[in-house]
Amino acid sequence: MTAPKFARIVSAALAALTVAILPVSIAEAHHSYAATFDVDHHITLKGTVTQFGFRNPHSYIQLEVPDGKSGTVRWSIEWSGTASLTSQGIERGTLRVGDVVKVVASPSRVKGEMRAQVVSLVREKDGLSWGLKGEKVD
Amino acid sequence: MVHASFGAGIPRNPTRGFVRRALLCAFAIAFGVALAVPGWTQALVGRDRAPPDLMGEWTLHDDEDPGQPLLGQYLGMPFNVAGRMRADTSAESIWGTAEYRCRPHSAPHSWRGVGGARILKDLDPLTRDVTGYHFQYWRSLDRPVYLDNRPHPPGYAPHSWAGFGTAEWQGDTLVIKTTHFKDGFLQRGGPQTSDIYTMTEYLTRHDEYLTVTQIVDDPVYLDEPYVVSTTFEYEPNSAVQMESCVTTALGDGGGSPYFVPHFLPGENTALQEWLVKENWVPVEPTRGGAVTAYPEYQVSGKNAKPPISRSAVSVQKAIEEQSPRDGEVHVLPVQGNVYMLVADGTNITVSAGKSGALVVDTGSRNMSAKVLAAITRLQAQVTAAVRPNDCNGSECIGQPSWASPAMNAIIASPAPARPIRFIINTDASPDHVGGNEVLAKAGYFARKGGTNVENGAVATAAVIAHENVLTRMQNGPGGDALPLEALPSDTYSWKFNKISEYVNGEGVEIFYEPKAISDGDSIVQFRRSEVISTGNIFSTVTYPMIDVKAGGTIDGVIDGLNHILDITAAEYRSQGGTWIIPGRGRLSDAGDLASYRNMVVIIHDRIQKLKNEGKTLAQVLAANITLDFDVRYGLDKSWTPAQFTEAVYRTLPAAARGKKGAAQ
Repeated sequence: MTAPKFARIVSAALAALTVAILPVSIAEAHHSYAATFDVDHHITLKGTVTQFGFRNPHSYIQLEVPDGKSGTVRWSIEWSGTASLTSQGIERGTLRVGDVVKVVASPSRVKGEMRAQVVSLVREKDGLSWGLKGEKVD
Repeated sequence: MVHASFGAGIPRNPTRGFVRRALLCAFAIAFGVALAVPGWTQALVGRDRAPPDLMGEWTLHDDEDPGQPLLGQYLGMPFNVAGRMRADTSAESIWGTAEYRCRPHSAPHSWRGVGGARILKDLDPLTRDVTGYHFQYWRSLDRPVYLDNRPHPPGYAPHSWAGFGTAEWQGDTLVIKTTHFKDGFLQRGGPQTSDIYTMTEYLTRHDEYLTVTQIVDDPVYLDEPYVVSTTFEYEPNSAVQMESCVTTALGDGGGSPYFVPHFLPGENTALQEWLVKENWVPVEPTRGGAVTAYPEYQVSGKNAKPPISRSAVSVQKAIEEQSPRDGEVHVLPVQGNVYMLVADGTNITVSAGKSGALVVDTGSRNMSAKVLAAITRLQAQVTAAVRPNDCNGSECIGQPSWASPAMNAIIASPAPARPIRFIINTDASPDHVGGNEVLAKAGYFARKGGTNVENGAVATAAVIAHENVLTRMQNGPGGDALPLEALPSDTYSWKFNKISEYVNGEGVEIFYEPKAISDGDSIVQFRRSEVISTGNIFSTVTYPMIDVKAGGTIDGVIDGLNHILDITAAEYRSQGGTWIIPGRGRLSDAGDLASYRNMVVIIHDRIQKLKNEGKTLAQVLAANITLDFDVRYGLDKSWTPAQFTEAVYRTLPAAARGKKGAAQ
C-alpha cells in the first residue's frame, strides 16, 4: 500500500470514528453496556423472581429459570438505576418474590456468566410490561 | 513616522527628566521586590494578581465528551504490549461483581464522567490563604488536593481512588500532581491502569470556562503518557449530586460470588465487532500504540518514528518504595491499636498497648535488633509517653487524694512499657520467623504465675502458629539446632484459633488457610481495630510466592484471598474500612485485595485452559501468558514470572471445567 493511500484510509477511519462516537456520547452509566453485554443478541428467560434489588448504580433481578432438566439456573439480570426506573413507573415494590416474568435480555459477553441486561420484561398475571414502549436501560 | 508621546511639543527640562527616570527606576525596583515577596505582592496589586478562583459548580461540555468508546477501538491509545493484552482480556462485566459495583469512576475518567464537577477550597483561618482544593464528581469520593507544601506519603502508605494530590500555581494555571492511586481504567470497556500510575493535571480558567488537561503516566501499560483535555462551563445553578450505591454478594447468576469475569487470550471476539460493519477501516490503527497518536502515522503507518516521550516514572523504583529493602525499620500507624512495620522489605504487624505488644511475624534474623528497638519505642510512645501535666489537686481523675502521681509524671521516669507478650507466625518462611528468638526472649508471657522467672529460666513471649509451621521449622535445614525460643510454643490445628484473652482491648483471631503459600499459613484478624494481617498470601510487590514443596497450591491461595475478602468491610465505595497488611508491600484494603485476587484468578484460568489442552510446562512458559502482569508483579528476582507459572501449573489438576467459579 502506498503512503498516500494509507494516509487517506487512516484519515477516513478517524472521521468515521468521530461520527460513530457521537450517538453514544449522551448517556454514560456505571459501566459500558456494549462492552458488558452482547447488545446485538437477545435471549428469552422465563422464570421466578427470587430477589429484586431496587438500587443504584443498577437494579438487579435474580431469576430462577428452569434448566430443561429437573432443576433451575439462577440468572442475575441487570436493570436501570432507581431514578430512571422510577420515572418509568417501576418502584421497589413493583416486582415481588415469586412473580413469574418473561425477560428478553442481552447476555453477558463473558462465557460462563449467567448474567444479562433487561431489554423487555412482561409479567403475564397482570400485564405489567417494561421495554415494549421504547423504555431502555439507563 | 512621528512617535507621539505625552508632553510632546513642550520644551524638555533636563532636571525634570532625571527625576522622572529616577522615579521610574525606583518604582521598577519596588515592583520587582514586591513580586518576589508574596505578601507584598498581594498587598500592592490586590485581587488582580491573585490566581483565578476555581471554586464553584462546573458543567461538562458534552460536545467534547467521547462517551463510551467503541469496544476494541484503541486508536491513539499509547499502549505497550502489556497494556494491549490487559485491555483485550479485561471484561467490563467485572463491574457487576460485589467488589466492583460501588467503585467510583477511575481518576483518569472522573472529569469525563457524567454530572460535572464541584470545586471547593480550604482557607487558612489565620491568613485566609487558599491551602487546598476539593474536587467532587457524581460518582466519586471527595478528592482533596493540597497547596500547603506537604510531602507525598512514602511508597508503603495506602493508595486510594482519589490518590494523594499536591498542587501549585504556575501563572494562572493550577498544576496538580497526584500519586498513590489504586488501579483503574483510562477509558470504559478496555484500557486499564496499574496502581502505580501518576497523574498531572493543568487547570486553567478563562472567565466562565475551565480547561482541564490530564496527563496519565503509567509505564506498566503505556509506552508514553496518555493525554486528554476536557472543558467545563461555570454554572452556579447546577449541583453535583452524589450517587448512592448498594451492593450485596449477589453472585453472577448461577456462578459463584468469587467468579472473576475476564476473557482468556483470544477469547474476546467482540473487539473487532464494529469493524464488520465498518469493513473499510483497517484493523491496524484500531489496535493502538503510541505511534497511532501522531500525525506521522497517517503517512508512514507503523513505520513512523515520531518523537515518543517515554514515561518519567520508574516501575522498579515505585515497586521498591512499596517495600523498601534499606536495612531499616519504618513504622506506619494503621488503625486502632495496630501499626505496620516495614523491616527491610518484610512487613511486621504490631498491636501496641497496655496489654503489651502482640507481633505478627518477626522479620529476618539480621533485622531482629532493629525490630525489637522499634517495637520497644512504639510501646513506650503508646503507653508510657511523658506528657505535660494536665491535672492538679484532688480533682485529678483516678487519683485517690492530693496527687503525687501527677507530680511524678513530670519529675520522674514513666513506668516501663509492657513487653511483647504474643508472637504469631503466619508461615515458616525465614523472613517471617527469623526474629522469633530475639523477640521472644525480650518478651514475657506468664505461663505459671506472675514472675518472669520460672524453673530457673526466663519466661518468654508466647509464639503461636499452625502446627505445620513448627513441624517444618524443626524438620527444615538446621531445625535441630534452633533454640526453643525460636520455635512456636503454642500451636493450633483447627481451622481457626482465638487468642484466649483480649489483647489491648480487643479479640484477636487467627484463621488457618490450607494449602495456600504452604501447608501452614495463617491470617490474623484484629476484631476491634479492623485490621487483617495476611502473611505472604497477599503481597503488593510479587506474585504469590507459592512453596509447592511445602504444600502450597494456587487454589489454596485463591481460597485464602477470597476468605480475606469475605471478612473485610469497606468504609465507602470499596475503599478503606478494614485495613489489610500484606506480607510484603504497601498497606492495602479490600479494593486492593480484590484487584490482586482477580489477577491471580485470571492467571489461574489461563494456565488451567492450557493444561486442559494438554500443554506441557515448557509450552505454557513459552506462551508468555502472564505478560500483562509481569511488569507489575514479576520484577522480583527471587520470585520470577516463570517460577510462579511453574508453581501454578504443577498444582493445578490435569483437567478442570471452565473458569474458576463459573457456572457449570
